[in-house]
Amino acid sequence: MSAKLDPRTKLYMILIVSAVVMMSATTPLLWVVRIAMTLIPLILLVAEKRYASALRFTILYAIALVLTFCFLSEESTGILQSLLIGYCGIAVQFLPALITAWYVVRTTKIDEFMSAMQRMHVPDGIAISLAVVMRFFPTIKEEYASITDAMRMRGISFGGGRPSKMVEYRMIPLLFSCVNIGDELSAAAITRGLGGKVKRTSVEELRLRVSDWILILGFTAAASVFVIFKYVL
Amino acid sequence: MSENFIKIQHVNFKYKGSDKGLLDDLSLTINKGETMLLTGASGSGKTTIIRLINGLIPHYYQGELEGSVDVAGYDIVKTELYELAGVVGTVFQNPRSQFFSVDTDGEIVFGPENIGMDAGEIRERKQDIVGEMHIEKLMGRSLFELSGGEKQSIACASVAALLPEVILLDEPSSNLDQGAIGNLREVIRRWKEQGKTIIISEHRLWYLKDLVDRVIYMEAGRICHEWSGAEFASMDRDKVRSLQMRPLAVSDMLSSDFAGEDSDIQTQEISDGITLKDFYFSYNKKPYLIRKKRFRENDEGLSLCIPRLTLPKNTVIGVIGHNGTGKSTFLKCVCGLEKDCNGIIEAAGKEYKGKDRLKICYMVMQDVNHQLFTDSVEAEVLLSMEEEDKKRCYQILEGLGILEFKGKHPMALSGGQKQRVAIASAIAADAKLMLFDEPTSGLDFCHMEKVGGLLKSLAAENNTVLVATHDPELIELCCDYVLCIENGRVKYLRQVNGAGEERA
Repeated sequence: MSAKLDPRTKLYMILIVSAVVMMSATTPLLWVVRIAMTLIPLILLVAEKRYASALRFTILYAIALVLTFCFLSEESTGILQSLLIGYCGIAVQFLPALITAWYVVRTTKIDEFMSAMQRMHVPDGIAISLAVVMRFFPTIKEEYASITDAMRMRGISFGGGRPSKMVEYRMIPLLFSCVNIGDELSAAAITRGLGGKVKRTSVEELRLRVSDWILILGFTAAASVFVIFKYVL
Repeated sequence: MSENFIKIQHVNFKYKGSDKGLLDDLSLTINKGETMLLTGASGSGKTTIIRLINGLIPHYYQGELEGSVDVAGYDIVKTELYELAGVVGTVFQNPRSQFFSVDTDGEIVFGPENIGMDAGEIRERKQDIVGEMHIEKLMGRSLFELSGGEKQSIACASVAALLPEVILLDEPSSNLDQGAIGNLREVIRRWKEQGKTIIISEHRLWYLKDLVDRVIYMEAGRICHEWSGAEFASMDRDKVRSLQMRPLAVSDMLSSDFAGEDSDIQTQEISDGITLKDFYFSYNKKPYLIRKKRFRENDEGLSLCIPRLTLPKNTVIGVIGHNGTGKSTFLKCVCGLEKDCNGIIEAAGKEYKGKDRLKICYMVMQDVNHQLFTDSVEAEVLLSMEEEDKKRCYQILEGLGILEFKGKHPMALSGGQKQRVAIASAIAADAKLMLFDEPTSGLDFCHMEKVGGLLKSLAAENNTVLVATHDPELIELCCDYVLCIENGRVKYLRQVNGAGEERA
C-alpha cells in the first residue's frame, strides 16, 4: 500500500483536525482519540521520509503532553507554572492542526492540489488563490532567511535597541519582496495560460485508494466520537 | 505569412500613474523564424517591447497604449492572454519568480494543462521536451533546491512545452554563470533551428553575437540603431564602447578564468593582508534538533574548506567560480552569517572570531531589498552607526552621490541607488572588509561601470573589497586580484594582468 494519499483525503483531514482542536478533550477517551489523531500525520510524515520535522513535532508534542499531565493541574500557581500552562495549553490544543497542515503543505504537489479542487467543483478563483498561497510558503521561508541574515549583519536582530522595531524591520522588506515576487509570478503564470476559459486538464490521476478510505473513515469516526461524547451524551 | 510575422506600428505607451512615456512612436516588424536581439540601457524600453508582444501590456500591466500590435495574426489588444499562451512563450529574467509549481515535473506540464490538453498527450510532450533539452537529471526534484542555471533550464523547457511559435527571453542570463549561459545558448540555437521566432532582450552580448540575425539598439523608447547579425559580430571595440554596450568579447585570459580550464596557476603569496584561517563549513550535515559540530579540515562533504588564505589589503578582489561552487557560501562564512563556521579573520594584528567578524565585515546582498529596513535613506545610514552622527552620515551620502535622496524611502529608489544606500550603511558601520554578492547582475554597461568605479574608490579608501561575480566585464573594469573558488576550495588567487599598469 503506497503512502501517497489523495489531496482530497488530506484536505478532509485538515478540516476534521481543525474542528477537533476547537473542542477540548475532557475525558480519557477523548484524550486517546485526540492523541491518536495527532499520531497519524506524524506517521505519515515518517512515511514520506520527513524524519526531521516528524521528530521535532513529536518531541514538542510529547513534552507538552507530559508537562500537562504530570506537572500542571488546576491548582498550579507561580510564574513558571503560568508560563508553562500557556505554552502547554497552546501546544497540546493546536499542535495537531499544525502538524496536519505541515504534512499536507509539504507533501502535496500544486498540480495535484489544483486537480483535486477541480474535481470538487471549487471555483477557479478560489483554487488558484489557494494554490498560490501554497506555492508561497517556501518562498516566504527563503526571503525570511535572507532578511534575518541582513538584520544580523546590521546587528539589529532585536530591533537595534528598540524592541518595537523588531517586527517592523522584519516585515517591511518581507512584504516588499513578496509583493514583487507575487506580481512577477502572476505575470509568468498568465503568459502560460492560467485562468483561461478552457477546462484545465491534469496529468496527475486522482483516485481514492484503500488507504484514503481508511483515513477518511477513521477521521470521521474520531470527529463523531468527539461530538457525541461532548454534546450529545 | 513569413514576412511581418510580428508587426508593431506607431506605438506609444506609458504605464498607469506614470507621466513618462516608455515607448515613443515605435514601429518594428519581425519576420517569421528571425532571431532578434534587443539591447540598450536599462529603461530604454526593451522590456516594454517584450511585454507588448506577449500581451502583458495592456492586459496585465495597464497604461495608455496607442498604435497597434499584431503577432501571428492576433491583434494583441483584442486577444485575451490565455489565447496567446500557445503562440507566444516568455522566459523571464528572474528564475525564482516564474515558477508556479514547486516541483520540476509539475512546472513543465503546467502550461499544457492550462490550455486543456489531453493528459496522455501532455505526458508524451513532456517526454519529448525533456529528451530534447537533456534535462532528465532534473526531473522529479524540488524547484527550490536547483541552482540558478538549472532553474533557467526548467523555465525554458516549460515554455517550450507549449510549442509556441514566438519565444521571448527577457534578460535570461542575468543570474547565470558561464557554463549555464553556454547551455542557454544551445537551447536558443536549437529553437532557431526549429524555425521559431526568437526575441531576446539582453545586456550580455558575447554569447549571442554569432546567433542573432538582427540587432536593435534602443534608447529612450526609440530604435536608435539597427544592424544585421554579421555587422554586429564584426563591430569594433570602440564603437561598442561608445554606445555603452557591454563588450562583445571577453579578453582571453579572463575567459579562461571563467571557463575554469587551466589549473596550473599558482596562488600568489601575500605577506601583508587580511588572513582567513580555518574556514570550514558544510550544508550536508544538519543535525535534527540541536546543532553543535565543529567542522574540520578533513571532514567529508565540506561545502567550504579554506585552511588559510591571505587576501591583499585595500584591493578589489573578484571572486569567481561556477554557480553552486561555494562563492556565496564563502562570502556568508567570511562575514560570520553561517554560525557553524568557526573561521578566524586576522587583520592589522587583531583576531576576529565568531560574532566579532560581523563588526568588520559587511555584505551587500544580491537582492538589496532584503537589507533596507527603515523609512528614509538617512535613518538607514544612522542605524548602522554605533553613535548617531548626522554630519558623518551626510558626508558618506555626499561621497556616494545620494545626499539628495536622504529623506526618501529607500524602496522608492532605483536598483542602483538602493545599492548605494546599502554601501553607505556599510561605510557607516566601519566595515573594513566589504563583500558584494553579484552586484552587477542584470545591469547595463553604464551602470556596471559606475559600480566598478565605486568598488575601486572603496578600495582606495582603505577597504578591502571582495566581489563575487559572473561578469568578466566587471573584473576587467575594477578588480586587482581574482580569487577562483572550486568545490568550496581556493583554486587560486592571482593578480589581474595589467591591473597595476592601468592604475599607474
